[in-house]
Formats: sequence, structure tokens, C-alpha cells
Amino acid sequence: MTDARKRSLRRELEAIVGRDGVLSDPEELLVYESDGLTLFRALADFVVFPRSAEDVAAIVRLANREALPFVARGAGTGLSGGCLPSEGGVVISLMRMNRVLEVDYDNQIAVVEPGLVNLHLSWAVGPKGYYYAPDPSSQQACTIGGNIANNSGGPHTLKYGVTTNHVLGLEVVLPDGEIAWLGGRTRDALGYDLAGVFVGSEGTFGVATKVVVRILRKPQAVKTVLAVFDEITQASEAVSAVIARGLVPAAMEMIDQLTIQAVEDAFGCGYPRDAAAALLIEVDGLAAGMESQVERIVAACREAGAREVRAARDEAERQLLWKGRKSAFGAYGRVSPAYMVMDGVIPRTRLPYVLNRVNQIVEAHGLRVGNVFHAGDGNLHPNILYDPRVPGEEARVVAAGAEIMRVCAEVGGSISGEHGIGLEKADFMPFIFSAADLEFMRRLKDAFNPGGLCNPGKIFPTKKSCVEVGPVAHRPHAIEEKGLAQRF
Amino acid sequence: MADAILETLRGVVGPANLLTDVELSPYVVDGRTPKAAVFPGSIDEVSAVLALANDASIPVTPWGGGTGVGVGAPAARLGVVLGLRRLSRLIEHEPGDLTATVEAGATMEALQVALAARGQWLSLDPPDAHVATVGGVLSANAAGPRRHLYGTARDLLIGVTVVCADGAIVHGGGKVVKNVAGYDLPKLFVGAFGSLGVIVEATVKLRPTPDVEILVAARFGSLKDCGLAARAVTASDLLPSALDLVDGEAAAALGLDGERPALVAGFDGLAEQVRWQRAEFARLCEEAGGREVRDLPAATWAVLPVAARRALAEPAAVMRFSVLPARVAEVVERAGATARDVGLRAAFSAHVGVGAIVGALAGPRDAAEPVAAALRDWREAAHAGGGHATLEAAALAVKELIPVWDQPGAAFRMMQRIKRQLDPKGILNAGRFVGGM
Repeated sequence: MTDARKRSLRRELEAIVGRDGVLSDPEELLVYESDGLTLFRALADFVVFPRSAEDVAAIVRLANREALPFVARGAGTGLSGGCLPSEGGVVISLMRMNRVLEVDYDNQIAVVEPGLVNLHLSWAVGPKGYYYAPDPSSQQACTIGGNIANNSGGPHTLKYGVTTNHVLGLEVVLPDGEIAWLGGRTRDALGYDLAGVFVGSEGTFGVATKVVVRILRKPQAVKTVLAVFDEITQASEAVSAVIARGLVPAAMEMIDQLTIQAVEDAFGCGYPRDAAAALLIEVDGLAAGMESQVERIVAACREAGAREVRAARDEAERQLLWKGRKSAFGAYGRVSPAYMVMDGVIPRTRLPYVLNRVNQIVEAHGLRVGNVFHAGDGNLHPNILYDPRVPGEEARVVAAGAEIMRVCAEVGGSISGEHGIGLEKADFMPFIFSAADLEFMRRLKDAFNPGGLCNPGKIFPTKKSCVEVGPVAHRPHAIEEKGLAQRF
Repeated sequence: MADAILETLRGVVGPANLLTDVELSPYVVDGRTPKAAVFPGSIDEVSAVLALANDASIPVTPWGGGTGVGVGAPAARLGVVLGLRRLSRLIEHEPGDLTATVEAGATMEALQVALAARGQWLSLDPPDAHVATVGGVLSANAAGPRRHLYGTARDLLIGVTVVCADGAIVHGGGKVVKNVAGYDLPKLFVGAFGSLGVIVEATVKLRPTPDVEILVAARFGSLKDCGLAARAVTASDLLPSALDLVDGEAAAALGLDGERPALVAGFDGLAEQVRWQRAEFARLCEEAGGREVRDLPAATWAVLPVAARRALAEPAAVMRFSVLPARVAEVVERAGATARDVGLRAAFSAHVGVGAIVGALAGPRDAAEPVAAALRDWREAAHAGGGHATLEAAALAVKELIPVWDQPGAAFRMMQRIKRQLDPKGILNAGRFVGGM
């Protein structure tokens, strides 16, 4: 883009969002060149900060007039490169649209803006005994809008479902700049379930500007159980054993030995360091029957070979166990300079086989892996540890990741459970979808986004791979370079 | 339709699986008779039928058990009825994964019986389960009382195989319970009434069969009190699997005498959970003025979603409302008053916790105008209740006076674009869906 054109476009964007609502200085743009997956980087021409749907619509119309690609961005915690301006253009940051607009307790819904941080919604409705159920591990930072793009999950989705099960309606700016409501405040859609189709479309169907979500009553009672195993296969089998006893826990998380040791080194949460694996199992709901549910879980775990099963005695112990689970990613910093999170899904009965395969694959590439994941719904998160300064290591991580995805596909699973396809996995789509499937998806995309300017380059396989690997592949995030942030 | 095409279709599905002429009487919709009805025996045959019809621009009306086929605007032409009844196998059921894959033509009852043998169920309980097929239920987004706790088809369908208008076979979603790879195609086909593609196979999430299940009713002096009790229940710690509000007429269809509204709740789970909830439900209802709390027989479950239409011998029209849950009682109150004003009997039942109301209207079949007048006001009542309403069943004369579908607003443009992209010749359930799509 020529300097003159950039200056003139900047003036037009300022007219929409004000002088303090546009970034175009390359130094400032660096902050937005990647998301949580720093393997991919791409620089925008502008980052703009609208405050209303009308602002967003005006930006989108301008982008259309100028044939500039545009992409919406929340907190940038995504893990697939989904919000990157991979072909330049305009990043629309929703961070100034972060209000809870309305809470209707009688109908158990809330209307919020997309830039609202996930956890802040639960804080807002908590005093009246309500919460917002989807709880991605990044919920202290990630936004509702980002959750919608990726159809985010979290530990408690085993019982409560993912984002799409909690969104009733959306006000969106369509890729041509028109504003429309998809779905609404009532449960049943009129006509096609466009809200359902929009959720999980990774920002390629438009920009959500208002969201109607369900809020749930907090459960009357919660119990958390820790089961400790000497063999990882026993832990995998316990997952199916619990299900076979007719139980649907709220969450069922697995943590392997490498991860336990990292967590214990960092935080001391009470996990036994010598265990091969642990399961963190939570049941919630009515106080009545809670004890017998716990008994059933204990029995199932013992039958699968658990050496120890105990329920958290009080809320403090429960919080400590969850802290261990939720801070696992941070704890890897203790044992490795860098790691890459994988995200795949398998039928949960295939856990014993697939976990073995994952460990074999990573070992064959001369790397180490820590597993901490949503075992209850078969959503794996192998975290491959590596040193980015060692030439070739990052390339081996990427290669191992691709093999793991193939295994997930071979056992009838999926290549993403909650992180999305984005840039990272676009070329893996043929692992699970036929040419006809992909062609159908392209036609659907063309209905929403015929010009292709709305978040181009994502989801669909390309000939060229965007991953640059090799000795120069490791680059710290721009804000790390500036000393504004560090990994932990 | 050219005889040559009929012959080709007969060649695809075999002579025994193509009906014509007088054999077509069960497939008459809104007074129109299709040219033929075909019953393919495999997905490839479905594909061949659609490819042929698409080439010749012949409309195709997908048909499961026929229970929801009355929902839709009168069609100019029905073309060929595409029946799925021969595709009825349970392909896979892995209890440890809590998932099953089933062909679209299986009846809901047959599926539930097979799943129950291994201690599981699909938590979707639409009416007429012995006739309604899996594909039809998904396409019509049909549900029953247990949707209160367990949601609807959109929450349970995790994978789908569809034959497109041009015969292409497309898979969306997958076999795993959590999956964000690619667009969420299952959502596109739920409630689309076959207008974007014909569902031939579905993978669904299952639940373990609960140890105990009960159904309890409390009676109220007014709809208003009944509605307040429903709100007290939804704001409490109770986790009912079902919460239905029925007016006096519909209560009679449930076997409850005395012409008074009732709040009916279902509870399931462990025995001690159910026991505690029953007592707490009774307490909350009595606080809100409820009386005569009593258990209902298990057979009443199946009557709940059809209570309003059963209450009237032969309803002239049935309307389905989707409104804000807290407004259900006032919408029912208003709609009932409107019916009385025009001198017609009416009955209402509602899944009150999710705002889904069914209203049935009695009336002479030849008096379309008063029926349509009442329905117009019912639709306004739905709008006042924050939602919309669909005319689910009515005589052709009534459908000519009041549109079957509500106005979808600004989103309609997107729906049309999707329809054009995926069914460019407009052959699938032609002209019968929202806005004449």
C-alpha cells in the first residue's frame, strides 16, 4: 500500500472511530501480528477499535469499497492463527465493545457485546446465583466474540456443552456491511438456524456485534474427586468405566506424569509426583444423591486400577486441584523453553490406544510431550515441548503434530475439538473431509462472504503452507521483544 | 413429468419401490398429489434419484414418517415424494462413547428400543415416535417435554450425511462429541425441512438411561398462578427434565379432571434425587397456590406434546409459538381469550421453561375466516411475547388466508442466498419453507 493511500484511508477510518481508534504505525501493529500461536505472523495495514455495530458496519463497507481484507479480533488468545490478517488489510478489534448490555433473569438470558471477557459475564451474573457455562482455560482473558468464532469449549463442556449450546442469537455485521439479527432471544429459530451456523465459522461469516447467551443457575452442590494411577492406560480405561456406570460428570480431566511434576514444581497443588496419570473428576447438581454419585465414581476408578481415589474435603482443596489443572500450561515453562499445544478429538473408548500412539510419535521425533486434557469428551491436548533455539526442532514439532492429527482422523475423530482450524490446520482438513464436503462448505461460505474479504485464507486447504520452519522459525512475540510481556 | 423419467427412476429403485396413481393417496399434501413416490434402498440410490430430478428440474418432497409433512406453505407442485423408510439401520452404537449412528428412515421408537437394550437413550422425545423417523424429526426440529433439560436436535446431532440437490453426498460434523473442524453443517439441516439437502444418516449424542423417572402435576386456579409457579421452579435448585404448562382443556387430555390449568414436571436420575425434587416441587407449587399435587402414569409422557390437539376432537388449526419463557402464561391467556371472542374452542400446552407453546383451535372446517382471524391474533400474541409463531397444521382454505411462516426479518436475505447456493434450481421441498423458499 502506498503511503498516500494509507494516509487517506487512515483519515477515513478516523472519521468512523475517532483519532484514538486507529493504529497504523508498524511498531504498534506488531502487537497484533499473531495470536496465542506465535508460529504464524502477519501484519495488518490498520487496527481499528469500533464502539458500535454501526462503526463496524462503516469499517466493513469501507473495506469492501477498497477491496481490503478484514478480520475481527478479540483478546488474541486463539491457538490456530484464526484472527490473523493473513493477507494484510484491516484488523477490527472488538475490545472497546465489552459491555453487558442487559441481563434478563426471568428468561435466563444476557445480551452482551463481543469484546466482553468470558469470565466477566459470570462475575456480572454471579451475585444473583447465575453463571455462563462455557469455560475455556483462557476464560480470564478470552472474549465472548472469540468464543463464538471458535465455538469454544472448556473442562465443563462434558456436561454443559460448548459455546453453540449457549448462544440463542447474534447481531452481526455481514461481510457486505449490512447489519442483521441471526436467531434472537427465543429458543427456536425461525427459518434456518443461522446463529448455529455462524458460531464456529471462525470469523469468515461476518462480525458479531451483540450476543444473546443463556445463563445458568449455579449448581446446588459440587464434588471433585482425584483419582491417581500408576499406568496411563488405567486412567484411560477409568474414563470409559465412569461413563459405563451411567454417570455424566460435569468434567473429567486427565493430567499425565510430566505435567503433574511441572505443576507440583511450580505450584504444589497436591498431585502425587510419582503418579503416571491422574483424573480430576467433578460432579455437580443436586445435593441429594451427590454422595452416591461420588461412590460410583470411586468404584469405577478403583476397578480400573486406581491406587488412590479421594474427594476434595473442602472448597479450598477443590480450588487447589483445579489450580493444578488450569495452570498446567504455565507450568510447562518450568521444564521447557517452549511448547506447542495440539488439539484433537477421538472417540473416548480409543483413549488407551491413541495416548500410546501420541507418545510413540513424539518420542520418534526425539521430543517430549505433556498431556493435560478433557478426557471425558475425548478432547486431547498433547503439549510438545521443545527448544526453539535448537535448529530444526520446531520443524520436528510441526511434523509430529501432523502425525498426531492423522491418528485422530484414523480412529474416527476430529482434527480440532475447540481451538479451530484457522491457518494452522487448513491443510489437514482433507484428513477428515472429502472434496465434496469441502466444496459444500465453500458454497456455504460464498453465501455469507461472496467477495471473500472477510477473514480470507482460513479453514480451507491451500497449496502453499504458511508455516515457515527452520533455524529462524523461533521468534518471540512482538510484545515480548519490546519487553512488554513474557511467557509464563 | 415425462414417462421416460419415471422409467429411469423405476430402474434406480426397483419397480416395487416406486408408487404411482392411486397408490399415492397417503402422499397427498394440501390437496396436491405427487407424480410418484420413490423409496430408495441406499444412499447411492438417493443420490441417483436427486441427480435425475435436479437435471429435469422436478421438485422433490423428502418424506420420513409423514408426521410433519403438513408443515409448510402449499406447494405449486409436489413432484416426486422421496421416502426414506428403507434406510432404517442402526449403523453403530458404541455405549462407551455415548454416540450412535443411524440411518434417517429409522423410527424414533425403533432407535430408542435398540439403545435402551444397552442402557442408553437419545434425549429427544418428539410426538408420534412410532411413526416419526430420525431424519424427519431432525428436519422438522421436532422435540418433546424433555427438551427442558436436554435441549433439542441442534444440541444432540453431532454428525450428518446429506444428499444435496444435485446428488452429491456430503458429510458434516463427525462421530465425536466435541468437534469444531469446518463449518457446523448439522446446524444447517436441523429444522430446514429438507430444503437444503436430504438427511440420510445421523450421528447423535446419547445419555445413560436414568435409574428412576417420574411425572408430577399440580393444579392451579389460573394460568397466571401456574406461570408464576413455573418461574419459581426455574429459579430454584430443581433440575426438572420437563416442565409443561397446560390449560384446562389440555389438562383434560392428560386425564386431569376439573378444567383447571396444571403445571406438570418430570424428574429423573437417582432415586434420592427424584424423591427430593418431588417434595421440593410440591412445596414450591403450594406456595404459589397450587393444589392436588399428584403423580401421573408413565404413559402420560407421550401425551404431553400432543395434549392441546388431543383436547379437541379434530382441530381446525395448530399453531406453534416460540416466545420468552416468562411470557408463556400471558400469551396463552390472550390467545385463549381471542378464540373465545370468535366463538371457537381452543387448547394450549407449553414446554414453559423454554417458551414453546402449542395452540390448537377447534372450528368447522368450512369456516376458514374466523379460524384465520384467531390465528392472526395468535401470531401477534407471539410477537408480543418476544417471539414468533408457525402454523403447523390447517386446512388449505386457512393457509390461503394466513401465511404458514412468520417474517424472518433482515436474516431472510442470507437464508435466500444459502438456498440459492445449495439448491440453485429450487427443487427441494420447493416453495414450502419460510418465505416461499
